[in-house]
Amino acid sequence: MTPRERVLAAINHEEPDRVPVVIGVSNATGIKMKPYRGIKELIGVKAPDDYIYDWPELGTALIDEDTMRRLHSDVRGVLDLEPETVRQWNKERDPHSDYVDSWGSGQTEIGPDDWYPNVHPLPDATTPADLDAYDDWPDMSDPTRVAHVREAASRLAKENQYAILATPWLLFPFERAHAMQGMDVFLLNMIEHPDFARVLLQRIGDYCKQLMGYFLQELGDNVDIIKIGDDLGTQKSLMISPRMYRNFLKPVHADLIGFIKERTSAKVFFHSDGDVAPLIDDFIEIGVDILNPIQTNAGSMSDLAMLKKRFGNNIAFCGGIDTDRVLPLGSVDDVRQEVKRVMQTLGPGGGYMVGAVHTVMNDVPPENVLAMVDAVEEFGHYPLGS
Amino acid sequence: MTINDELWDAIVFAERGLVLKIVQAAVDNDEDLVELLNNTMIPALREVGDQFSAGEVFVPEMLASAKAMQAAIDIVGPLLAKTGHKPIAKVCIGSVRGDLHDIGKNLVAIMLRGSGFEVDDLGVNCRVDDFEAAVQRGAEVVCLSALLSTTRDAMRPVADHFRDRDEVKVVVGGAVITQEFADVIGADGFGFDASDAIRAVRECLGLAGTPA
Repeated sequence: MTPRERVLAAINHEEPDRVPVVIGVSNATGIKMKPYRGIKELIGVKAPDDYIYDWPELGTALIDEDTMRRLHSDVRGVLDLEPETVRQWNKERDPHSDYVDSWGSGQTEIGPDDWYPNVHPLPDATTPADLDAYDDWPDMSDPTRVAHVREAASRLAKENQYAILATPWLLFPFERAHAMQGMDVFLLNMIEHPDFARVLLQRIGDYCKQLMGYFLQELGDNVDIIKIGDDLGTQKSLMISPRMYRNFLKPVHADLIGFIKERTSAKVFFHSDGDVAPLIDDFIEIGVDILNPIQTNAGSMSDLAMLKKRFGNNIAFCGGIDTDRVLPLGSVDDVRQEVKRVMQTLGPGGGYMVGAVHTVMNDVPPENVLAMVDAVEEFGHYPLGS
Repeated sequence: MTINDELWDAIVFAERGLVLKIVQAAVDNDEDLVELLNNTMIPALREVGDQFSAGEVFVPEMLASAKAMQAAIDIVGPLLAKTGHKPIAKVCIGSVRGDLHDIGKNLVAIMLRGSGFEVDDLGVNCRVDDFEAAVQRGAEVVCLSALLSTTRDAMRPVADHFRDRDEVKVVVGGAVITQEFADVIGADGFGFDASDAIRAVRECLGLAGTPA
């Protein structure tokens, strides 16, 4: 099987030759620069320290092809870019001043290589008129956002080796609302100004669809998986109630997913951190095909057997390898055993791809990243043992 | 014991305007503000905290109730101070170095204030020196918050700094913090969530976990 065939089988709920590995693509399935440098050193690869989205402040490495192969990654990414003018402005600004993106939101420097989302352009907005008065809504038609997409995707499609996981940056309406207002401000507005909160989410959803439209147009048929999402869980529960999700956000997610599915047969990969188990039926209903990152240290997401039994026929899982304790603090053998355990629980019948729970952060030893992917080679061939 | 049911509900259901109206009327009518605080406001916010712990309400509802409570405390607090009403103790709180997250930290600060503590809120990205300065200003408990697995280790130097000073207690909390982590770094207390943080602060001061 080629890596692409392996991924397609898994997400179609069939058993491939081995459990696929999703690593090194986009932010949520990516690797920060420090562990990337460590991995390159361990495996003797010389490649530049480049960043995905051409965005150093995000801190996530653009993984070179030799390293991707050593990591047994079965996917390759196609991303968008911020408009050329925004990238240029950020390159020329004082390097310690705030990074500002095309929506007017951005990051503040905390320390070396450490940036925090702290720039919120609409903290005081409480009415649709406030949104109308904002001058800096993004221009999604800027061709420099997607100018590279057609060539990148068609090259990968021609090679026909790896599954193409395409990810425009943060088409996540809830998280974008946090970026525009500040998280606490927006969450309060959902209570105090609910009509406004709905309008803001809807407006953001419309911009997401605009960019998604241009992006999909460039991809054509050369895509297997489209990644979107929204972080909805906390360590032990949901951030907002199921009722509030269904009332405010589900229609926006459903609209975006419907828009995608009208234009491509690619599977929809939905990223949502934390304990989102109470919403998985909703995700399935609106057309999510793959759920990520299965944050195993968060509430009921730790019960992998329950997730597989209850939802496994209707949604595939990607992730599940703990970035809170096992990857940063565990031994190489701890990592091996955890990968084996997770694969044996989520992997039977297909429907599971190994990945770290969110980005491999700077506190993860590079040896543990290799241990994670090598454990897939060691224990992940079907039929999975017990 | 008199409970003001209307104010209780206004806090629980986060009707900030109504909370302000009732509290201002109580001030204008020269009502017993200590009784209002102890019998209605504090237990009402505790109820919201308990509902949050039980997964019955979520972050927006909790934030909105806390904001309503804060507005009430802004009116009542200075008046109580003038009458010589003493806080239970002075505590300081801050998100640790490298961590700019403050929603959970702010919730705990409001609940501490609402529970009768004087709170020295140090903000975010706080270093050992910031906590030491707050202790010099009279804080008996140092509350540390961290959201990220990558910033929780910044709690260690603070716990180390106060280790040999029995008169200063260190309480930790935040999404990635566990009792086990608190034990490893030698903290005096751990709060699982905002409500539980109040219990932890009270306990390390030798007070009953839940006020009578």
